[in-house]
Amino acid sequence: MNRMTSRTFALVTTVGAVLALAACDQPAPPVAGAPPTMRLLSESQYRNVIADVFGANITVGGSFDPLVRTNGLLTVGATNARITPAGLEQFDRMARSIADQVVSPKNRSVLIPCTPTVATAPDDACAAAFFKQVGRILYRRPLTNDEIQSPVAVAAAAGKDLGSFYEGISSGLAGMLVSPSFLFSIDTTEPDPAQPGKTRLDGYAKAARLSFFLWNTTPDDALLTAAEKGALHEKKGLSEQVERMLSSQKIEGGMRAFFNDMLAFDEFSKIEKDSIIYPSFSAAVAEDAKEQTLRTIVDLLLTQQGDYRDLFTTRKTFMSGPLGRIYRVAVDRPDGGWMPYEFPESDERAGLITQISFAALYSHPGRSSPTIRGRAIRESLLCQKIPDPPGDVDFSLFNDPNSPNRTARERLSVHATQPACAGCHKLTDPIGLAMERIDGAGQSRTTESGAPIDPSGDLDGVKFVDAVGLGKAMRENPAVPSCIVNRMYSYATGRTPDRSEKVLLDHFEKQFASAKFRLPKLLHDIAASDALFAVTTPESKSAATNTEKDDKS
Amino acid sequence: MIMPIASTSKHHLAGFLGLAASCAFFVAPALAAGPKTLGFVITTWNTGLYESKFIDECPEGFNVGYDEIWWRGLSKADRARLTDNGLKSRLDRYFNAIRRGPNGEDVCMNPTVVKDPPLLTVEGKVSYGANLDGNADGSASPKTCAHENFTGLDGTPGVDNQMYRLLGCIYGFRSYGQFEVNANENRKSNGNGMTLIEITGVDDAKNDKEVEVAFYRAIDQYTLDGGGNFTPFASYRIDAPGGVPRYGSKVKGRIEDGVLLTEAGDVNLPFYGNYTYMNQEIKDMRLRLELSDDGAKARGMASGYYGVDQLMFYIGGLGPISSTAISNCPSIYVAAHELADGYPDPKTGKCTALSSAYNFSAVAAFIVHPKPNEQTAAADKR
Repeated sequence: MNRMTSRTFALVTTVGAVLALAACDQPAPPVAGAPPTMRLLSESQYRNVIADVFGANITVGGSFDPLVRTNGLLTVGATNARITPAGLEQFDRMARSIADQVVSPKNRSVLIPCTPTVATAPDDACAAAFFKQVGRILYRRPLTNDEIQSPVAVAAAAGKDLGSFYEGISSGLAGMLVSPSFLFSIDTTEPDPAQPGKTRLDGYAKAARLSFFLWNTTPDDALLTAAEKGALHEKKGLSEQVERMLSSQKIEGGMRAFFNDMLAFDEFSKIEKDSIIYPSFSAAVAEDAKEQTLRTIVDLLLTQQGDYRDLFTTRKTFMSGPLGRIYRVAVDRPDGGWMPYEFPESDERAGLITQISFAALYSHPGRSSPTIRGRAIRESLLCQKIPDPPGDVDFSLFNDPNSPNRTARERLSVHATQPACAGCHKLTDPIGLAMERIDGAGQSRTTESGAPIDPSGDLDGVKFVDAVGLGKAMRENPAVPSCIVNRMYSYATGRTPDRSEKVLLDHFEKQFASAKFRLPKLLHDIAASDALFAVTTPESKSAATNTEKDDKS
Repeated sequence: MIMPIASTSKHHLAGFLGLAASCAFFVAPALAAGPKTLGFVITTWNTGLYESKFIDECPEGFNVGYDEIWWRGLSKADRARLTDNGLKSRLDRYFNAIRRGPNGEDVCMNPTVVKDPPLLTVEGKVSYGANLDGNADGSASPKTCAHENFTGLDGTPGVDNQMYRLLGCIYGFRSYGQFEVNANENRKSNGNGMTLIEITGVDDAKNDKEVEVAFYRAIDQYTLDGGGNFTPFASYRIDAPGGVPRYGSKVKGRIEDGVLLTEAGDVNLPFYGNYTYMNQEIKDMRLRLELSDDGAKARGMASGYYGVDQLMFYIGGLGPISSTAISNCPSIYVAAHELADGYPDPKTGKCTALSSAYNFSAVAAFIVHPKPNEQTAAADKR
C-alpha cells in the first residue's frame, strides 16, 4: 500500500464500499434496450485512444466536427453522428500525421514490435505483426485475416513504391485510422444463447461500452481478454471487470469526460469576454475555471467519496493564480499549480453554481444573464427542458439604455410581463437572479449600476436569500439526483432512455440514495447492469421504433 | 480620475479599504473580526521630476550626453582616426566615448578622471516632494546642508527635492527618457525588483491612527491582462529565502480621511532597471498613498534622502545606455556632491544624500508570506 497514491487508495476503498453495498442490492428490473448503434468517437476519446495505443507524445492536430447535443449530452448526439466530407478530410490528415509520427526514427523502435529484414523494402510478416497488435486496440477486437491483410497489402505497395518499409507501414496505419471500425464504436451482436431467437452484444462490444463509459477510452488488454473469454457475459466476470475499472486511475478521466459533457464545458472553447468590461478575464482564467470545477467534482465524488448533492453546497475547491484574481483570493503558488482552498462560511461562494466556470460560461460576453443561468440550472442540473424563446421576442424594454431600471431584476420584471415570455422566465429568472452578485466574468459584486442587487428567490417553492441558499435548495431538490441518474444512464448507453426505462431509472435512483448518493455506487450499478448492454433484435426493431415515437409525442 | 498626488483634495481610500478588507477576509477568515491587511504591488516608479509644459525649469535646455562632449573635444584628425573616417557605427562611438579617461578609463565608473562642463540644473520653483527637514527657508541644520527649497504643486512651502534639481534637465531621467522608461519596461517584462507594500493593522478603513506599512520584494512576475495592463488582485509571493524576507522595512502610518500617510523611517526598497539590480536605501522616507475610485489602482509618492554614492553606483553602471539617455556621468557626479542637502559627513561636514521624491503607481495585490513551517525551518537554521 505504501506505493499506492492517495487517489488509488481512495478508489480501492470506494470499490470496497460499493461492493459491500452491492451485496444488499435489489436486482435491476429488465429493460428491452434499443437497436445496436454506431457511436462516433468524441474528440477526447479519439485523443485518449491514440495516447493509449501510441503514447502521449504523439501529437494529434486538427479539428473535429462538432457533435449535436441531444438530451443534454453530446455523447447521445454522437450516436446519430455522421462524418461529413470535410470531417473525413480532417480525420485523414490527422491519421497521416499520427502514422508518420509512429514510424518516425524516434518512435519506431518502441512502437513497432519487429524489425524488417531490410528497411528499404516491404516486410509482410513484420507488417502483419504490427497491424495485428495495434488493430486489436484500435478496433477494440481482434482483426480478421482480411482486416490484417488489407493494411499489409497497402504497406507492401507503398513500401515498394517509396523504397521504405516504414513509409509503407505509415500508409497502412493511416488507412486503419480512418476506418469506421476505428472511428465508430460499433455495437456488434451475436445470438443470445440464453434467449433463443434473440441477440445480444458480443463481448467486445460490451467491453467498448464499459470502457468508453467509465474510462472515456478504448478497452485495455485485460478487458479485451475478458471479452475474448466470454467473461463479460457472466455476472461474476462482468463485476470483476467493473470493479477493476472503478479502481483504476482512468476512472478520473472517465468522470471528467462525463461532467464535461453534462455541464456543457465544451462551450468553453467558444467563450468570449469583453476585455474592456472584464480585463481580468483571460484565456488562462477560462481554462482554469473549467479545471477548478472538474477538480472540485473529482475530489468530492471520487477522492472523498462524498454525497453528489454536496456539489451544490461545498465550499471546498482548488485555486490557481489566474482564478485568485477573479475571486480576489490570495494564492500561494501564483506561478502555476493549484492549491486546496475553502471559502469561509460567510462567503457568498459555495457549490458549483457559484464558481467562475458556471457564472462566466452562462453569461453574455459583457454582462451576466439571469435567464441563461437559470436555464442552465434547469436543463443541465435538473434535467428540465426550457423551450427556446420565440423568434420575434422583443428585447427593447430589457435593453433600453435609458431605462430607469438599473438591475437585471428590475429590467427582467418589465420584460417578463410580456405574455410570450412570462412562462419560461418564471422558471429561469427566480433562480438565475440568485447569482446576480456574481458578474459575467465570475467576479463578486453587490451593486449593479449603483443599485443594490437582491439575490433572493425561490426554487420550486423553496425560498432562499442568495446563491448559497439556492445551492442548499438544489441539494434538497429531488430532481438533482434524479437528473444525474438520467444523464449517467444516457451517457453510458449513448441514447435517451425511453418511457419503459423509467422503472429502471427509479431503481438506480433508489440505490443511489441508499448509498448516500455516492457516485461510484451509481457507476457500478449502471456498469454492472444488463440494461447497459441490452439491445433489441432486428425483429423487435419496429416495436422499439414505435416506443420511441410514443416517447417523442 | 487620479489626481496629482500633491494637489488632490478628495480621496477615495475609504471605499477601497472597505473592498480590500473584504478581500483580506478571504485570505484569513480566522481574522475576520480583527484588523485587516491591504496589499499593493508597485507597477511604475519614476523619479519625481516636475515637468512644465514648455520645460521652463530648464531655461538653457537639456544637458548634452557624454558622447557629444567627447566628440566636441576631439580634433578633426582625432575624429577621423577614432571613427575610421566616420565609418564607425554610433554604437562604436558610444563605446569609444565612454572610455575617454586620460588612460582609457570608463568615465562613468571613474567620474573624477575628467573635468567636464558643469551640469545644467533645474531652475524652476515648483516640485514634487515633501518638506523633509521641517523648515521652509532651506537653511542648514544638524542633519542638512543649506539648499534652495521648492514650492509643492499644491503650494506647500519648503519642499525639498535636490534630486529634481540635479536630474531634471537630463533627458534620460524625464518621464519619457530612456532611463525611466527602460527601467519600468524592464521590471514589467522580467519581474525583477518588484516592490510590494503591505499595510497591516487596519481597524478603520477611513481613519485609523495607527497602521504598519511594510515593503517586500516579490518573486512572481507581474500579472498582465490581454492588453498588457497590470491586473489587480493577483497574488505575489514575498522573496523570502529560507522563509526569511530578503526585504521587509517597516514604518508606522496612519489613515486620515482615507489617505495613507506614514511617519518618516529608513527603508530599503528593491530595485531593478536598466539591467541593474540594487537596493534603494531611502532615509527618512515618508509615504503618501492615494487610491483610484474603483479601488483597484493606487498612486503614491515616496520622499526621503537618497545617498549620492548610491545614485552614482546606479548611474555609473549604466554605461553606454547613458548615450541614448543623453546623460554625462562626470558632470552629474560633481553636481550631485554640490547639491547634496542631507546627512552631512561627520568628518567633512559635506552632505552625502539628496532630498528626493518618487512618484509611483500600484495595483491592489495579495501578498503571500512564507508558510509558518518555512519560517520555522529558517529560524532553526539560524
